[in-house]
Amino acid sequence: MRAVWAVYKRELALYFRSPIAYGVALALFLFLGLLFTSNVSAGNGQAPATFLNIAPELLSFLTFLVAPLLTMRLLSEEAREGTLEVLMTLPMRELQFVLGKFLAVWSYYTLLLVVMLIYPILLSTVGILDIGQLVGSYLGAWLYGGAMLAVCLIWSALFEDQIVAAFLGAASVLVLFLAESAAIWASNQGILSGAADFIREFSLSAHYQSTLAQGVLRAEDILYFVLMIIAAIFITVRIVEIRRWRA
Amino acid sequence: MIEVQALTKRYGAVTAIDNLSFTAQPGQVTGFLGPNGAGKTTTMRILTGFMPPTSGAAIVAGYDVFTQSMEVRRRIGYLPENVPLYRDMTAVGYLMYLAEIRGLADRRKKAEAALDRVGLLYRAQSRIRSLSKGMRQRVGLAAALLHDPEVLILDEPTIGLDPFQVLELRDLIRELGQDHTVLFSTHILSEAEQVCNNVVIINQGHIVAQGNPADLRVELERGGRIFVRVNANPEEVRPIIANAAGVASVDIEGDHLIATPSSANIDPRPAIARVLVEANYELVELRPLAVRLEEIFLEVTQRQIQHPEEEPIAEVVG
Repeated sequence: MRAVWAVYKRELALYFRSPIAYGVALALFLFLGLLFTSNVSAGNGQAPATFLNIAPELLSFLTFLVAPLLTMRLLSEEAREGTLEVLMTLPMRELQFVLGKFLAVWSYYTLLLVVMLIYPILLSTVGILDIGQLVGSYLGAWLYGGAMLAVCLIWSALFEDQIVAAFLGAASVLVLFLAESAAIWASNQGILSGAADFIREFSLSAHYQSTLAQGVLRAEDILYFVLMIIAAIFITVRIVEIRRWRA
Repeated sequence: MIEVQALTKRYGAVTAIDNLSFTAQPGQVTGFLGPNGAGKTTTMRILTGFMPPTSGAAIVAGYDVFTQSMEVRRRIGYLPENVPLYRDMTAVGYLMYLAEIRGLADRRKKAEAALDRVGLLYRAQSRIRSLSKGMRQRVGLAAALLHDPEVLILDEPTIGLDPFQVLELRDLIRELGQDHTVLFSTHILSEAEQVCNNVVIINQGHIVAQGNPADLRVELERGGRIFVRVNANPEEVRPIIANAAGVASVDIEGDHLIATPSSANIDPRPAIARVLVEANYELVELRPLAVRLEEIFLEVTQRQIQHPEEEPIAEVVG
């Protein structure tokens, strides 16, 4: 735990000195702010509470940009700069190292999400909030982000080039996101109806946009994200091990 | 203590090190010598637990590097070849970070003590990116010394330092060698000769010679050739020297002669001196052909290239 904590502190502090992290936050909040203002003024007192799940939903959609940008340098830079050799000859296991890194980037993401709670707080002053939807959409976006950051971390472990890691990260998140559309298309074509359900169960949107974000809290959706985080961390740890063995 | 037993590492079809065995004793500095690409870094990476060997074993500080890697890592200080550092951190911040991962108490005190040891305490608060190459090298060394490890493994620690810093660092390594096991690699032979109690010379993944530098020299001088300079035309004195007892052949090299003894156990110098003086020649110089580590190195590594199958030519238990 001690080593995890040491890595975690350093990495998290780096996000507060990283232009990319500030860039991501700036773009996100600018966009959300404009959207919120237009939404509220368009509603004109009618039902501004519809914005409740828009902010976390938008963030989770944007993870295909946010997650690669936040994770791309996390592991690739250590390999490129050679510091991996220093760290992996310290009494620290790969899991501690990867976990410290992952928790740091997830914490930064969590912070973005916490700042986004400003919208429900503002909305609560003019209406009554749907607490179920609030909890579901924010909890879901938190797990969704964690899973996508973990998936993107795999690419950062695999490639020394940050740009390659970022592109493959973005592609993986989009594939997982669009899997539901692919499943719908497949079942509409009447082909692979069994496979279509299977593909759908793998998709991000089936476990978030249509359930958690609507305030439907199902154990299977939460489990989906948690298992994805565990699997991605496991794969990342193995890659770091293999990298070091072949260095 | 480092014990390496039949260590082999292959990368696909390439054999980086092949059946390496040697020992580095506590209280000694062991030099690990070889041309670039000989397998020094690979060996050190295996010893530090960074990568596993293909076969063979290594015991460092009493623990197996492969099965008890964490125990080994607690007890070694390692300076990797190109000294990777976090450039965004301050020197003291970097050391405190490593100390925290290592779980040390009194982190600031230990970090400052390590910087003091390498003479860099006055730059403790400087960002590593602003330090010169030599200073970074010393930060790396401080990182290796941070936890006062039993075993120090330093991969080419003097590269990139100015001559004054090199001298300082050699003194420091010698000093550390008194109460640590130090293994350091270099391709600068005079350095190994000055600093090491024991050298292991490797080439293309094989050990070609090992022992203490003085023993290695004796080993090669015995049976070695004799340098003769006479105040006369070498052509003229050549038959006279060739007639001396124990001389097998004489070659002329410029203004001097090289005599080869007929047997490795014979020192023909007294005989050569006698025949020359009896023939009324002025003998100016008579000595074993100087064998410095440089020459041993060139000789053993070249033999290895010509005859890759050959066994190590000099095995001296120092």
